[in-house]
Amino acid sequence: MRTKEITGKTVLWIFLLALAFVTLIPVVITILGSFKTNIELTTGATVLPSKWHFSNYANAWDKANFSTYTMNSLIVSLTTVAGTLLVASMAAYVVDRMDFFGKKIYIGMQSFTMFVAVGAVVLRPQFDLMVKLHLHSSLWGVILILISAHASIFFILLSFMKGIPRELDEAARIDGSSLGRTFWTIILPLLGPGLGVGALFTFRGAWNEYLLPLVFTMTKPELQTLTVGLANLKYGISAASQTHYMMAGACLSILPILVAYVFANKSFMQMTAGSLKG
Amino acid sequence: MNKTKNAAFAYSFLLPSALLTLVLGIYPIAWAFRYMFYNYKGYGTARFIGLDNFSRILRDAEFWDSVVNTFVYAGGKLLLSIPLSLLLAAILNRKIRGRQLLRAVFFMPTVISTAVMAVVFFTIFNSYNGILNQFLIKFNISSSGIDWLGPKHAMLTVILVAVWGAVGNYMLLFLAGLQNIPEDVYESSSLDGANKIQQFRFITLPMLGPVLQMVIMLAIINALKGYESIMVLTEGGPAGKTEVMFLYLYKLFFPVGGSSASTQVQEFGYGSAVAFVSAVIVGMISLIYFYASRRMNRID
Repeated sequence: MRTKEITGKTVLWIFLLALAFVTLIPVVITILGSFKTNIELTTGATVLPSKWHFSNYANAWDKANFSTYTMNSLIVSLTTVAGTLLVASMAAYVVDRMDFFGKKIYIGMQSFTMFVAVGAVVLRPQFDLMVKLHLHSSLWGVILILISAHASIFFILLSFMKGIPRELDEAARIDGSSLGRTFWTIILPLLGPGLGVGALFTFRGAWNEYLLPLVFTMTKPELQTLTVGLANLKYGISAASQTHYMMAGACLSILPILVAYVFANKSFMQMTAGSLKG
Repeated sequence: MNKTKNAAFAYSFLLPSALLTLVLGIYPIAWAFRYMFYNYKGYGTARFIGLDNFSRILRDAEFWDSVVNTFVYAGGKLLLSIPLSLLLAAILNRKIRGRQLLRAVFFMPTVISTAVMAVVFFTIFNSYNGILNQFLIKFNISSSGIDWLGPKHAMLTVILVAVWGAVGNYMLLFLAGLQNIPEDVYESSSLDGANKIQQFRFITLPMLGPVLQMVIMLAIINALKGYESIMVLTEGGPAGKTEVMFLYLYKLFFPVGGSSASTQVQEFGYGSAVAFVSAVIVGMISLIYFYASRRMNRID
């Protein structure tokens, strides 16, 4: 009985550690690979770099344009987060606190956009719209489309909004605060935790977005984001000679989100688990 | 008076959200819905052709090949990722040492960009001097390496990459479901002499029914619709071996930046019809699954 238990435990741990190894290894390969030379990467079969080439990052930053890509990714992600939170929290506030004609239609519309997705088709009319608005040659087109997909954040914020007691609104109203003022000075600060997870999820989505910026920057390389610039390296004529830049670039795009994840691990976990109920 | 003022306020706060959703969310879907009855290549005038696009779909062997590939891809992904994530969740729901850390590790792939990871996996699985093959040769496991992205193994490789990205997500959803099962059910059953495997079979699985049903539903929809990582990893190649439904669809609207497919003609009208058929296929599979799995929703 006792030996059986020990064997069971050993098998369990071998299984868990093997899986953890498989899960981590692509990221570890990327991080270690970003310090190797190209030759070592393509013929070396080494685990650790034989010599640590920190210059890969400097070169990727300058020569492979990763400074531009990083800047673009930051602009897109941060603006999308700010816009999404603003638009969705304003809507969640009035939907939760007030009654007006068309509320049901609005909620139906939001659920519709969340569940009906027909793939790349919608990108085409979205792109054409941006051409008409003269926004196709800037990142604003990408940002606006990303913000427009705020249905899930709206529903998350709506559930947080329900947790804020209505008595606070009442008290503010009696004190003579206008509805708008109540929103900015009372509701929004109390919505902090909801805005936090909303920001986390929006940032992850925008930072990792590939198709939208790809379509919008097909003829404008200077607007590419990290994901697009990186994937394009794969297609480049000299792709074979740039594997080390690819690794350094991949690190530049993975590390920020990985660091955010390590710090906000709990929120990531809770939110994903929480989405099961709603 | 006050009431109209309140309504005006409500609409003004709703406006940005409603406008964005209407213009960039609803309108594009309506656009596609209209053009599926037109012959429209993105330039010139669109010509109404009724149902011609749909009869063309019936004869489009490339499309139906992509449908078959989608089923193989989705089936493979589900068959590997669902049992694995369920097992992981069951283990990590126990009070074992380091479970928080292990959960964090397994969930990690879901926070990283699929497109970026596809680039990394490309350098790992690359048949010629890919990192994995270098090691296989070095340790004499294979004399010349395995053609991971070649015609024979490409589908398996894209499935493995997809499983890598999905397991952590489903594990977490299962964990959330497991936490709703009361602890004392297990205690009383172990007093009755049930072992862990019996407990899993007769308590965990049935009580997890509704969650299981929902997670598999999500997994089916995601697997049928996913194409981003395949697009970066193989572009649907070699020779269309990994071309899935939504990737084929994408290529009708945008020339793919890669080498081979960039000559493709854009077909907005036909593409809209393909999108509709694809969406119907996904919807039908989900419905069939939903009705077939109703039994899981009952906790006996």
